[in-house]
Amino acid sequence: MQKSFRLIAALTVIGMGIWGARMLFPSPEQAIRSRLLNLARTLSFERKDGILSRGLKAQNFLECFTLDVVVSLDSRAYGARTLTGRDELQQALLVALNHEAGGGLKVEFLDINVTLGPDKQTAVADLTAKATVAGERDFLVQEFNFMLKKAGGQWLIYRVETVKTLSRREVIRRIPV
Amino acid sequence: MEAKTQPVGLPGWLRIVLIGRNPRRTLVRIAVLVAVVFLTRTYVLLPIRVKGPSMLPTYQEGGVNFVNRLAYHRSEPKRGDVVAIRLAGEHMMFMKRIIGLPGETVQFHDGHVLINGQILDEPYLARPCDWEGPPKTLAPGWYYVVGDNRSMPEMLHEEGMTPRYRIVGKILLCKNLFASSPP
Repeated sequence: MQKSFRLIAALTVIGMGIWGARMLFPSPEQAIRSRLLNLARTLSFERKDGILSRGLKAQNFLECFTLDVVVSLDSRAYGARTLTGRDELQQALLVALNHEAGGGLKVEFLDINVTLGPDKQTAVADLTAKATVAGERDFLVQEFNFMLKKAGGQWLIYRVETVKTLSRREVIRRIPV
Repeated sequence: MEAKTQPVGLPGWLRIVLIGRNPRRTLVRIAVLVAVVFLTRTYVLLPIRVKGPSMLPTYQEGGVNFVNRLAYHRSEPKRGDVVAIRLAGEHMMFMKRIIGLPGETVQFHDGHVLINGQILDEPYLARPCDWEGPPKTLAPGWYYVVGDNRSMPEMLHEEGMTPRYRIVGKILLCKNLFASSPP
């Protein structure tokens, strides 16, 4: 019995040691995942969040990006749009937060696949973003590629682009005569 | 003087109900059950919950179904198969029907799907379609997928070409379980 107890205690200590080491010294993949999950959290807000809180979230959101970030969006429902630089991104974000989902928005990043560049200073993260507007049954799903580079010890996003999971074809809606 | 000691803990009948007469055998059974469920879930059948109207009326919203991962282990996807297509991973997938195979030309015209210029018979469609589009020729290893609900606006309907590697498997059941009744 005492032997089993010692074994369990030893395994627990080893497990906690590994967990602690990973927390203190995260691998680049973990650091990138953590940054992206944090980004999803800053994009989410509730109805009770005030304008100040939303503004702070927007500020935290922007700190994840480089100054010359390029966000290239192309969705079937909203069309194509490219945002360049943090300022343009901030404007678009504030407009979206205040008008598109005034009642609240929950953003989740799922299935984050991180591929490090050969120099270990750049990385590409492929993920599925899920956005649910408060009070609505349906949600939006879009696959994204985030390109990151290490600057000042931090992983910053320098490019975001939508991934066309199903390649689009050109369709013209027929007008009934 | 001799004192009989009673084991402290669960009453006998409750002990039998919870852990059986032979705890070691129960433990083995639980381990086997967990392993079977894990292996089935990982390599054979992936449970999914269907959201969204794009596969109406064949598959109702909110129902449960399964993706058979082994369906295309020894054969390639066929026209008419309803498949699950992964995005970045398998937490979210599109459920669509294959209408075009590699090398074929697909076109929406006059309420029909044309495959290499011939009208495709689609008995699963319940409502008319008014989509129009130019012909698209599929590259090797690419499939054309679309939902059964063609009455919804095309811009709100995810459809198009997908590479083979994104197809996770074939939908197992022809109707969803626990789905709400059709509208």
